[in-house]
Amino acid sequence: MLKKNRKATAEPPAPPKPVPVDQKTIIGDQISIEGAIRGKEDLLIEGSVKGSIEVKAHRLTVGVKGQVEAEILAANVTVSGKLAGNINATGKVEITKEADFSGEIKARSISVEDGAYLKAVIEMDREPLNRVSPSGKPVEKTFSEPIKESLILADKGSKGN
Amino acid sequence: MTAFTADRKNTDLKHDPGAVGYSSNALELFMEHFQQRPERKLLDVGPVCQENIRFFASRVKKLYVCDMFIRLDRCIRKGSPVDQIWEKLDYPPQSFDGILLWELADRLDDADVKRLVTLCHSLLRPGGMVMAVVLGDQPGSSGANAFVVGQNFRVYLRPQPHLHLPLRSRQNRDVLSMMAPFIPAKSFICRPGFMEFLFRRE
Repeated sequence: MLKKNRKATAEPPAPPKPVPVDQKTIIGDQISIEGAIRGKEDLLIEGSVKGSIEVKAHRLTVGVKGQVEAEILAANVTVSGKLAGNINATGKVEITKEADFSGEIKARSISVEDGAYLKAVIEMDREPLNRVSPSGKPVEKTFSEPIKESLILADKGSKGN
Repeated sequence: MTAFTADRKNTDLKHDPGAVGYSSNALELFMEHFQQRPERKLLDVGPVCQENIRFFASRVKKLYVCDMFIRLDRCIRKGSPVDQIWEKLDYPPQSFDGILLWELADRLDDADVKRLVTLCHSLLRPGGMVMAVVLGDQPGSSGANAFVVGQNFRVYLRPQPHLHLPLRSRQNRDVLSMMAPFIPAKSFICRPGFMEFLFRRE
């Protein structure tokens, strides 16, 4: 008890240690950037960016307030704001329900929440059918043959009406 | 003529385990036809969903998605003229081998359906195919759905509560009439009053 008190009076309080945080750069909603961005850490954009963004081994997030017009190269991309441009991702692209995306997406996998607006051209890294998907489930299973009951409107080659 | 009853087994959808599913013969034929096309470019007008992106992107060379349902919903909410949405389908003529319309036509008035059909005709390559769904008189369900494609062409209807779109019930003859520029190929009755159509461009 005595020791503790003595120590407190003898030494000035130590400066607070920096809290360890994930390496991430944030472009705030009042920031506007035009040009090329390259980085080696994750990037969160809540502001406005026009140009190109390259965070090859990292995650790019376009936040809900973000407005981006850019060519994007990243490991993983999450879009919750407005993004016009092409995404080239070595990993996953996630489009959340708040997103408004137009452009091309090349990625290993993609997830899209219902409600997101997409005008996109999508190319995914192909995995042969019947292989096991990342979720562990086979991509294709065999179910019983569906019952076919058709109403033929017109033979092929002939025009109806 | 009667075809498929609601089937709650075989559901593989994480989001809605109680989703109603049916085997889509039209989609199966559509994809069979599509796979024979050299370019294999497909346009899906929505509602865009993750499962369909995965399903189609693994089967086509390039998957184009343009969610016209959300565009239509935004237009209606703002009170803007609906015909603004057509500028979003600004692809060059003869860009696609297949177009998935799902139930979009049921959400449009006759004038806009005409515009949609003209656009689709222009966007399709000769021999390309359109798939459309008409809900008909579905008691008590006017909400928009995503047609979520599961395994073996089972399709599940997933409600899209964020979409508030009018439903204009159309019958078989209405559909044939509105799709007049195309050659009717096949139609299937999936559930009472629920029809799938395939049309081909000459």
